[in-house]
Amino acid sequence: MSKPVLVVGGGPAGLAAAHGLASIGQSVVLVEKEDRLGGAPILSGYAKLIPSGEWAKDAIGAMVARTAEHELIECRLTSQVDAFSGEAGQFQARLSDGATIDAGAAILATGFSHFDSLNKPEWGFGTYDDVVTTVQVEQMISSGSGVRCPSDGRKPERVAILLCVGSRDRQIGREWCSKVCCTVSANLAMEIREELLDCNVYIYYMDIRTYGLYEDLYYWKSQEEFRVKYIKARIAEVTSDGERLIVKGEDTLVKRPITIPFDMVVHAIGMDPNIDNMKLGAIFDVALESHGHIARGSAYSAPATTSRAGLFVAGAACGPETIDDSISQGQAAAMAALAVVKQNQRGAA
Amino acid sequence: MPIHEKSLIRPENLRVQENLELEGVDVSGHWSTFIESRVVSDYNEAIEDEIAALPGGEYIHRCWQCGSCTNACTVNAIDAEFNPRHWIYLVRIGLESELLRDKEIIWQCVSCNKCTYACPRDVNPEGVMKSIAHWLELKGHTAKSPAAHFDEVFAGQVFATGKIEEGRIIRGFFARTGQALRQEWLMVMARRMVRHLPLRMMFVMALGSVLQPKTQGWGRARAAIGEHVAEQKAREHKALGIAGQERS
Repeated sequence: MSKPVLVVGGGPAGLAAAHGLASIGQSVVLVEKEDRLGGAPILSGYAKLIPSGEWAKDAIGAMVARTAEHELIECRLTSQVDAFSGEAGQFQARLSDGATIDAGAAILATGFSHFDSLNKPEWGFGTYDDVVTTVQVEQMISSGSGVRCPSDGRKPERVAILLCVGSRDRQIGREWCSKVCCTVSANLAMEIREELLDCNVYIYYMDIRTYGLYEDLYYWKSQEEFRVKYIKARIAEVTSDGERLIVKGEDTLVKRPITIPFDMVVHAIGMDPNIDNMKLGAIFDVALESHGHIARGSAYSAPATTSRAGLFVAGAACGPETIDDSISQGQAAAMAALAVVKQNQRGAA
Repeated sequence: MPIHEKSLIRPENLRVQENLELEGVDVSGHWSTFIESRVVSDYNEAIEDEIAALPGGEYIHRCWQCGSCTNACTVNAIDAEFNPRHWIYLVRIGLESELLRDKEIIWQCVSCNKCTYACPRDVNPEGVMKSIAHWLELKGHTAKSPAAHFDEVFAGQVFATGKIEEGRIIRGFFARTGQALRQEWLMVMARRMVRHLPLRMMFVMALGSVLQPKTQGWGRARAAIGEHVAEQKAREHKALGIAGQERS
């Protein structure tokens, strides 16, 4: 009987790793600090996912269900790893619920934290009710309540989406591009236009990074079919005239200052390193890279490795990542972890 | 306050008052030059839909501001102020006052369609230029361009008779645009035609000019075209929110 693989984190990457291992007969212990599985798409109530357009609760929900009911996967919810020792083939993890797990290998699928918009006070979040984040708009859509101004429940007639909130900003020590927000924003803009025909949506951008196949499927589509307007401007501040929000900035293409009234302003918040990464780095004795994500051991020859042998990483734990790529990385980490477990089994025999 | 950076400020935004006192302070003269705000304080969201409703403007919302049209533009090569990319942006975002500043340049598009072939998103910039010029006319911001007058005389004659008779087109166009019929270049052309054209062709032209022939059985076609044109105009007027007859 081989030792189980410890998977830390029950989001898309962790679910994919756990199920991948279990589906080829490897036992898994899945540790999740929240009281349910699914990670950000479920816990934060995402709406329709990119690129398939499936609802998060269906797509990720199905991954949760097959993981929760698999006999080779032991799910330990509301639980965290407090201590982690040993070496590849024979790790011991002590959990916050008191249990001790012997594991042949471990996978960190600890994900990310959403950027907290309070760290950019000039953009009005926390000051004005109608300044919200992309996550809140996702929730308005996924809950079925529709996109409404939080202040009085009215349907907005004009919405501004500000890109790069918490990304590409040296002022707040976040030099990275969060990679998904352009596409997410284009998608949300289309959702808003679909629900509210009379609502105009403006996206304020520095660059549009709807990379790869997202270019025409999201960026072009939002312009051509949904008439979303893109304005090259980094907004200076969001204030209010007492009735509506006032967005100030420079329209760089006409070189003129703008102060435009809006009903709702949406922050396209970026992906921070998991707020617990310093702690995780210490507990797992694993290196973080310069931005604070878990450092990859190798970019090419040994995917999913970290600075510690037998400990692997997948998904947004190592940097801003899409859901589908996190799932692929979870599978890659499962393969790498399985190799370590099998090798040590042979060694022990 | 003296302004040393006047070259950076649009002349129409500079205000000097001969005699003005504000709260007991004399703010007259050069030393108290005022600058009108450049701030854009709202978007006119109707414009893009209005342009898109006119023939040629249908694909304006595809534009992503790459500048391929302006780069390819024949007119831009001789007048840097002629910038299709910029106008498409102003329409898309609804910056009406900026657009109106250029109303006397926009119609100068020569329809060479180089932009049409350069555009990576199939915006059809040439069509957009046409529709913006048309919009400016319909909204009363500009007089009809000479090209529009020519088109109307030309099309009017085709619709009426099913034929084109050059002499009448020239006369009609000159009358509409207030030009004298006796123009030096025209006289030279006429003299040379008399000297060099085959007699038979001269005869046919002269006859056509006098008899104003029609294509046989043109009545039904004329009615159908008339109906279509009226529908088209009604649709445009409705899209632009303007009532009544087109100005002439």
